[in-house]
Amino acid sequence: MKRTLLHSFYTAALLFASTLTFTSCDSSTENEGSISYADKGVFILNEGNFGTPNGTISFYHKGSGQVVNDIFSKSNDDQLLGDVLQSMQIHGERAFIVANNSNKLEIVNHKTFESVGVVQDLKQPRHFAALNENKGYVTEWVAYGSMGQVSVIDLENYTITKTITVGSMPEQLLISDGKLYVANSGGNTVSVINTATDAIENTIQVPDGPSEFVIAENGSIWLLSAGKVVYNDDWSAIDYTKTTAGSLSNFSDPLKGMQIITFPSNQSIPSNLAINGTGDKLYYNYQDKTYEYPISNGQLDSKVIIDRSFYGMAVDPETGNIYGSDENGFSGDGTVFIYSPAGEKIKEFRTGIAPNGFVFN
Amino acid sequence: MLAIVAVPAVAQQDTAAYQLRSVEVFGKPAEVYAAGSRVTTIDSAYRRTYNSSSLADALQAHTPVYFKSYGVSGLSSVSFRGTNASQTAVLWNGLNIGLPTLGQSDFSTLPLSGFGEVSVQSGSAAATYGSGAIGGAVLLNSHKYNGKGFGLDLQQEAGSFGRYFSNGRIRFGSDKLTIGLGTYLRKAENNFTYQDMSKRGRPETTEEHAAQHQYGFTQDLNYNLSSNTKIGLHGWYTFADRELQPAMGSATIAGQLDKNLRLMTQLEHESNFGKTDVKLAYFNDYLNYSGADTNAVADVQTYQLQAEQTYTKVNNWSLRGGINLQHFIAENNGYAGTKQENRAALFALFRYDPTPNLDLSLNLRQALVEDYTPTPTPALGFNWRFYQHEQHHLYLKGNVSGSYRVPTLNDRFWVNAGNPDLKPEQGWSEEAGLRHLFIVGNNFILETEATAYHMLIDDWIQWAPDATDRWRPVNLQKVQTMGFELSQQLTATIGNYKLTGSAGYTYTSSEQAEVYEGNGDKGKQLMYVPLHKAVAAAGITYKNWQLHTTLNYTGLRYTNNSESHHLDSFILVNAALSRKFDLGPGRFILSLRSDNITNQVYQTMAYRAMPSRGYTFSLRFLIP
Repeated sequence: MKRTLLHSFYTAALLFASTLTFTSCDSSTENEGSISYADKGVFILNEGNFGTPNGTISFYHKGSGQVVNDIFSKSNDDQLLGDVLQSMQIHGERAFIVANNSNKLEIVNHKTFESVGVVQDLKQPRHFAALNENKGYVTEWVAYGSMGQVSVIDLENYTITKTITVGSMPEQLLISDGKLYVANSGGNTVSVINTATDAIENTIQVPDGPSEFVIAENGSIWLLSAGKVVYNDDWSAIDYTKTTAGSLSNFSDPLKGMQIITFPSNQSIPSNLAINGTGDKLYYNYQDKTYEYPISNGQLDSKVIIDRSFYGMAVDPETGNIYGSDENGFSGDGTVFIYSPAGEKIKEFRTGIAPNGFVFN
Repeated sequence: MLAIVAVPAVAQQDTAAYQLRSVEVFGKPAEVYAAGSRVTTIDSAYRRTYNSSSLADALQAHTPVYFKSYGVSGLSSVSFRGTNASQTAVLWNGLNIGLPTLGQSDFSTLPLSGFGEVSVQSGSAAATYGSGAIGGAVLLNSHKYNGKGFGLDLQQEAGSFGRYFSNGRIRFGSDKLTIGLGTYLRKAENNFTYQDMSKRGRPETTEEHAAQHQYGFTQDLNYNLSSNTKIGLHGWYTFADRELQPAMGSATIAGQLDKNLRLMTQLEHESNFGKTDVKLAYFNDYLNYSGADTNAVADVQTYQLQAEQTYTKVNNWSLRGGINLQHFIAENNGYAGTKQENRAALFALFRYDPTPNLDLSLNLRQALVEDYTPTPTPALGFNWRFYQHEQHHLYLKGNVSGSYRVPTLNDRFWVNAGNPDLKPEQGWSEEAGLRHLFIVGNNFILETEATAYHMLIDDWIQWAPDATDRWRPVNLQKVQTMGFELSQQLTATIGNYKLTGSAGYTYTSSEQAEVYEGNGDKGKQLMYVPLHKAVAAAGITYKNWQLHTTLNYTGLRYTNNSESHHLDSFILVNAALSRKFDLGPGRFILSLRSDNITNQVYQTMAYRAMPSRGYTFSLRFLIP
């Protein structure tokens, strides 16, 4: 009796369990055969949850309007891409993906998205810029509040050849006219590095919290500074008598001076600086709105073009369409919205956890 | 009849004891006022064999609840009936011990050896247990030491992945006094191997950051001042120093130190007015999380007073009225200075048995919290034996209950995250079930139960970024959960063989019914709620030998609220074989067990590797 009892007990349990196992295998193959990442499209970076390697990249195919999610895993045997995807840059055949909390730079062929290399052991990497096919640069925070660095990457064998100490919390970097500009967001400087010698040439003073660059039609550089948030002594609230407002700075040769446009209020932090393809209109988020600023005189005579701000935002250089994203509380897939240059919503779709950036192909 | 509600341990009771309990009226556990609810207890055969496990492992193997473990060494949080970790109340000797900063308990730091009894009540029970008892409640009670003279229990265990466990307990009992002291030490390297999904080709990798070191003490004293008055003193200290196992491919390397001291004194007095029960407690919960860029310290002192008066008219009705007061003093480097908070609750619990076949309970609780007072919380339940013929007993049961959860200290005091519009969570649940008991003499008990439930939880609190990327708690959503639970328990003695068996299956649907901020993912299964979970356990004892096995099937779980990514289902099988040797007044128990026998690769929290097959050898010496 005991044997049969126990036996049937387990047999039933196992049968039951295995039935469920077989029925629960879901199919992840969709009709994506016709999509090529070499076609005109938009790579969307979904940063993922901090502490979890669930950052993914989606591809929006402009011709067909189709969206393919998880393109890295699909092209690389279900390998996970990384923890907090911070940024991506396409240079030539390759795309360079910075996975901040995986401390790595993953390099893929951008047409197939197959991995071609990885640079590991970076220290809280943020952004990448390639000088040419042989050399690139990565900004690294190293540690919160300490001096950051820029690592020089050999793009042939994916090794770090040099590290250059810069200011605190270096964010975006921009290469222009033989110089590498690094925005030290934890302070109020931009480091200028000579790309021939990889040595710091200059450290220039800018408004507090420099973080994002774009290049305008006339070749001049626009820099967005977020401002500096100061808390009161017991950290119970922000002290707005000491907090500085964000600003936009414009310069060609920073040694010859720059034009600074300060935002009206220190109670909102400007973010997501973007520029259109013709390089004559800036876009940014401020006070929970999206503004368009036709580059003209020194006045910030911007207009509200979309009545909300975004987690990530960019402008399609080809069409002038504005891409913005909603992070959905980081608990489910975020949404990407596409707006016409006039600010009318054209389309929206879901991608992955916390879409934070767009790279146009 | 009254105590039959507290049926759980059926599997371990022989019929005589079982039926004796029916007339036992005195000193009833709180479940007496939970007519129509579902209460399960971890069977003692399992507890004996898995003494070194954490409460998380034990409940994961034995009950329908789902645990999210951040790897083998990290936080282990519970999910009852599709709710989240802070929607479960954890009580020690009747007092809530959830961390007031986080509003939840870390079950991986609660060793099974630290308490004498554990039972689990599924479904809303806030009228009885207070804030947080939305999805369910876990009830822990101190060791009860019976018998006169000295008793001893010593255990040493060694296992795979550099795991060691030592446990010792000594007790003394006389007519008036019982005293018990216990201590344990647990060390684990947890250097198991796993396939790293974040690297090309999934290389076999050894876990290098999941070591842990835990120890603790328990002290329990009961003294009968007179025939109708007794006092109890209970102390429980746990220490845990852990490396937190990172997710694969994540550079977050951190450690956590927890020190939890729980002290309480209890006075029970019988008089013509019934039973007076006063509990006074002091808890100190210290937590230090340290990572590359963070060093967070939370240090909370809680003073708690619970006073109850219970009047029982034997076999017919019982009324309990009481008050609970809590005072928190919290230091946290996320708060601006030391914060204090007072909370109070008044409750009345009523149990009425109009006939021997029908139990009714009606409970009501009103919590009082400055700025966050929830609406009054009622509960109404019944348990009706509608059929009895020879060995068969059939019961119909059901209940309707409210529940609430007030914001945690972090929700309230975290710097710059204050949300003046925040409301307490409020829930409503209904459940109905059938129970069948099949009893043959003293040798065979089979209990079968089926329950269906539905629950709505409104103003679910979650931290989310606002338009300026500032994280703060908001009343994010209304969640609807529904499901059914089937279970069966068997105890049989056939000749020299004693068999125990249990099996359970749960179906849980949990989804956002409304979303108050952002887009949300309405109508989709919430993350980390398995639609299907099944557990089975079987034990067989023959003379001095015992074999005990458990099986846990956990179905697919989505890892976000959009159902776009998931963890595959898994089956975990554990088995233990033990042999006892009598030696004078004492007894040796040798046991060998294997966890994850089939070497299942599984995760309960995405990308946190869990241990492969492991073996443990244990030697235990008892003087009962």
